[in-house]
Amino acid sequence: MRQALEGSQAIARAVALCRPQVIAAYPITPQTHIVENIAKLVADGKLVCEYVSVESEFSAASVVLGAAVAGSRTYTASASQGILLMSEVLFNIAGNRVPIVMTCANRAVGAPLSIWNDQQDSMAVRDAGWIQLYCADNQEAVDTTIQAYRIAERTELPVMVCVDGFTLTHTLEPIDMPSQEQVDAFLPPYHFARTLDPMKPISLGTLVSPDFYPEARHSHHQALLNAAAEIVAADADWCALTGRSQGSLVQVEGDADASVAILTLGSVIGTLADAREMHPELGPVKLIRLRAFRPFPTETLLQACAGVTDLVVLERALSPGGGGIVGAEVKAALFDMPNPPRVHNFAVGLGGRDVPLDIYPRLLQTVRSQSPRPFAVFDVDLDKLPAEDR
Amino acid sequence: MNMHTHTPIPIADLRRSQPRFQGIESGHRACLGCGEALAARLVTEAAGPDVMIANATGCLEIFTTPWPESSWRLPWMHSLFENTGAIAAGMEAALKAQGKSTKVLAFGGDGGTFDIGFQSLSGMLERGHNVLYVCYDNEAYMNTGIQRSSSTPHAAMTTTSPVGRDRMGKRHLKKDILSIIASHHIPFAASASVAYPSDIRKKVRRAMEIEGPTFLLIHSPCPLGWGHDGALSIEVARLAVQTGLFPLIELERGELIGTMPLRQPRPVTDYLRLQQRFSHLFKDDSRAREELEHLQALAERNIEYYGLKGNHDDPCDSEGADTVRRGGQRWA
Amino acid sequence: MTELTRGAFAHPGTSLAFKTGSWRVQLPIHQHRPAPCHNACPAGEDAQAYLGLLATGQAQQAWEAIVRANPLPAITGRVCHHPCESACNRGQYDEAIGIHGVERFLGDEAIRLGWAYPVSQPAADARKVAVVGAGPAGLSAAYHMLRAGYRVSLFDSLPEAGGTCRMAIPPYRLPRNVLDAEVGRLLATGIDFRAQQQLGRDMSLNELRQDFGSVFLAPGTQKNREWSIDGAVPRDLHVGLDLLKEWMTVGSMIQATSVAIIGGGNTAVDMARVLKRCGVPQVHIITHEALPAAGIPAEDAMRAIPREIAQAQEEGVVIHPHRGILRLILRGERVVGVEMAHMKKLRRPDGRVERVVFEGTETVMHVDQVIPAIGQQVDDTGMAELLHRLPFFSPDPQGALPGHPGVFVGGDARPDRGSVSAAVGDGRRGALAMDRFQRGMAAEAEVAVAEVGFEQLNLNYFESAPRSEAPILPPEQRRGQEEIEGSLEPNQARQEAERCLSCGNCFACDNCWTLCPDSAVLKTTEQAADGSHYVFDYDYCKGCGLCAKECPCGYISMQDEA
Repeated sequence: MRQALEGSQAIARAVALCRPQVIAAYPITPQTHIVENIAKLVADGKLVCEYVSVESEFSAASVVLGAAVAGSRTYTASASQGILLMSEVLFNIAGNRVPIVMTCANRAVGAPLSIWNDQQDSMAVRDAGWIQLYCADNQEAVDTTIQAYRIAERTELPVMVCVDGFTLTHTLEPIDMPSQEQVDAFLPPYHFARTLDPMKPISLGTLVSPDFYPEARHSHHQALLNAAAEIVAADADWCALTGRSQGSLVQVEGDADASVAILTLGSVIGTLADAREMHPELGPVKLIRLRAFRPFPTETLLQACAGVTDLVVLERALSPGGGGIVGAEVKAALFDMPNPPRVHNFAVGLGGRDVPLDIYPRLLQTVRSQSPRPFAVFDVDLDKLPAEDR
Repeated sequence: MNMHTHTPIPIADLRRSQPRFQGIESGHRACLGCGEALAARLVTEAAGPDVMIANATGCLEIFTTPWPESSWRLPWMHSLFENTGAIAAGMEAALKAQGKSTKVLAFGGDGGTFDIGFQSLSGMLERGHNVLYVCYDNEAYMNTGIQRSSSTPHAAMTTTSPVGRDRMGKRHLKKDILSIIASHHIPFAASASVAYPSDIRKKVRRAMEIEGPTFLLIHSPCPLGWGHDGALSIEVARLAVQTGLFPLIELERGELIGTMPLRQPRPVTDYLRLQQRFSHLFKDDSRAREELEHLQALAERNIEYYGLKGNHDDPCDSEGADTVRRGGQRWA
Repeated sequence: MTELTRGAFAHPGTSLAFKTGSWRVQLPIHQHRPAPCHNACPAGEDAQAYLGLLATGQAQQAWEAIVRANPLPAITGRVCHHPCESACNRGQYDEAIGIHGVERFLGDEAIRLGWAYPVSQPAADARKVAVVGAGPAGLSAAYHMLRAGYRVSLFDSLPEAGGTCRMAIPPYRLPRNVLDAEVGRLLATGIDFRAQQQLGRDMSLNELRQDFGSVFLAPGTQKNREWSIDGAVPRDLHVGLDLLKEWMTVGSMIQATSVAIIGGGNTAVDMARVLKRCGVPQVHIITHEALPAAGIPAEDAMRAIPREIAQAQEEGVVIHPHRGILRLILRGERVVGVEMAHMKKLRRPDGRVERVVFEGTETVMHVDQVIPAIGQQVDDTGMAELLHRLPFFSPDPQGALPGHPGVFVGGDARPDRGSVSAAVGDGRRGALAMDRFQRGMAAEAEVAVAEVGFEQLNLNYFESAPRSEAPILPPEQRRGQEEIEGSLEPNQARQEAERCLSCGNCFACDNCWTLCPDSAVLKTTEQAADGSHYVFDYDYCKGCGLCAKECPCGYISMQDEA
């Protein structure tokens, strides 16, 4: 049924449809509305679960970990500082191969303090071993959240559903909420093979010596690579059920023969799509949206980049002293191509700086006039910096 | 007449038919005479098989689970150092949502409870989760090699509170964790000691019966960290109680409702002199003498504050004492 | 090849694969050692063992444990000086266990309930042995030989068995009916008792040696030691022991106003108390020894049992310790007084003991009777060739008489004896030695085993509890022959048994089982080979020593790992 919902509200309802038994809630802008909406559902009896108001994000992640190994489907959400605070637990959850789904309402990470959207938080924990899926809009947030439970419980890997803070969480959008029947048909009851049970007591979280540690890491890495198939299958099955696909691993739009492509993650794709429609004169441009960042969809990306001579990687974070994060990974993926495109790597919209429609022509202008620099913050205004800090 | 020939009773069968529940098996890597290993064994014995355990990083976790081996015969998880209260809360919420009666236990050392794990413990208590939190107090970060925690007693030597020209061991006092726990007004909190195993079992069973958060602080000597022979662990623990330095108290909703009385409080020196970590207090040094006085004053303050001085006819004395009886009929 | 599990989880109890026993440098062993009461008992009773049985309500088995060593508990439970209680470790904690009272209680119960001695009839063709003297040593030897399967003939010059118990211990210490019952039951086990047979008069030693495989001599000390003061002896001299015997058998006593008894042993004390009962107004004991007390060395103390001395004093006997008689003051040939001085036995540098009189301390005491009770020696009638005019025999510790194979000696006839319990012990040891001799085996010395000392116990696990005391007649009621000391009630005896710390013997308190951090002590319902109810699992025991340290009774020792 289609209705206009705020992103947070829609996500809250999607979570409720998945029948979680334990939800850990800790507020942080811009995720707060999600947990508030869920609280209201619980208070109104529309969601029956244990709602645990924890005392920090560290505990939020820990509570869901404890609940998940005790045999319950769980949910929590965080952003920014909270993601970093719970980062130790994120590694722990993934290393223990526990199926958990979490929303990351992408927000910049202090210092400097910022409450506005970029993707530094989820990028900072890309090595934690979680599946990371980035949503373009709130409908996708709903659909991906539901798919995430199936993906997590089949792969025994936790899934982080990344949703741009404010841009998605606080905007109204017409949403097709699936029905409870649809979700029940898609999602079987929670199953975790290593659920703690007094009748079959096992010990989780042991100390592993160098004799077996590399094997553990290898298998984790392999599991993430293999998860790509589940991500694809989940999207396909959901599409069969609802008619909606969210792009599987990589969503590609535009002329297949375009030699210029812009690659990005998250909601900025909407701006680019609108701008492209406004500027047909600038020629065919492929828009490549990485939906899955972990596992990194190398194969699909290579296919998408076939015939591309100039690839703009437009990202929402950076690694200080290194440069672009997505850019570096894309370049690495493309390295062995016979004719890899030139990669123009820019960070844009850091700390919530508005990404206007005219970014599109300006990007294309830059591509045509300059050889690619390793990395730059596209919308930086150096006049705002003293000389020594430029 | 020495007899250490093996008896004709097959040991493996005997091990399986012991008249007590074995939550922790032999073969764990604890040091000789480890107080924490004993305490955990007593706690799981009294708690029984229908439990689920969240265990902090620390000695207990390390020496019981070197993959592929585990000493635990109970469902058990180790996550991190500082989140045991939260893991346990999550387990409890899940079991509650599933309608199961399995009791959740949280195990942590003093480091993981008084310091880094304090926040998640406080949150768990405040939210009223039905969890028994047991803190095995060996008074330092022992697993990492004997560093000072907020539970380390005043004047004790650790690697981060060493003795030297300018220092006489730990400057600060032992954190009064039970007063902080008391402020959470939980149904039941108590201190216990491995020197009084029946008392531990009684307190564990009490906590198991309660629906709601409970907390147990068990004094667990560490021969390596405290500097004494493993064979003396019980003696040292007993003296800690009998000097008044580690009072055994019970709190309900923050109010003191019971203590183990001391018939004849022992001077603190009886306790301190057995341990290398206090050996600097027995040198001929005015600072050392002053510290001994200080520790004695702290003990006396405990005795006064908690009303610990019992007398021979006090009926409570017998319950507290671990009198042995022919045939093993301990009172708990 | 071990395969990594998903998430590196581990299966329960798999740590059993790691045998931490390999860490040990020392290991715990169960070691039964005698309790001090056992080592101290002259008869060799294991008090800890029978107290343990009584504590679990097994009174008959407790009595049976006693009579495995001592067949006369109803007697020793009245007249023994109970060195077991002096040695009892509990005495250093609160109060020693009332072992003596428990033994008496059990002895009396056995008589009352007719518990059978654990002996069976010997085979008709079993070898025969002879025992001369039916006092406690002879009765004990006869009993133990019967237990060992021999046919035993027991000879005594008197009409009834009992020896010193019958002749020299007053009824208010040892009632006649108790003596008769105990001795009667013992003889009824199958001992061939031949009364009124005197060695030398009715049979000779050689005849005995020929007719029997071996002979145990327990003749006691029937001859008074020579006594005189400066060569003077009163015309109406009565020797203490003779007077005592006469009073006990016939009931008559000399008349006197004031009596001085010379000597510090049981006979002197008994004599003094009997005189008091017979109405003698003033009774004095003069002895160069000291009153027994803490700090008084044993060789300086009066030989009499301390409680008998105390009771005598309660009854009005005046004791003059560290005194000796210099001179009898005679009027004609009757004594009217004695001159006394302070006197002590001092040890000289060459090791000899010498009686020293202290000049300037002389006093005169008016008495009309002086009764020596200075001790006895062996009457060698029929045994002269064994004794060579010495006052006592000199057998080896087991009782064998060197140079006379097949002849054994025990009881007061040995030097350094003088108690019923020591005599009983001699009878048992002699019987063991005789048995070995009969079977052609070499003699075997009893090996002394180090006992459990107080410091090997862990008293933290016991609670102080007062000692039960049996009732005692107040001095003003001690007139005739009624027994002065009463018995413990059954619940009191049981309570005393429960106070026993069980030194050196496991009483299944569960401490080791409860306190092992490695679950390496396992409990069994069957008895383990070493007699305890616990088994060490040496596969996992790390040798930390907690079990040994916390064992309340010192049953566990740590030994170096080989």
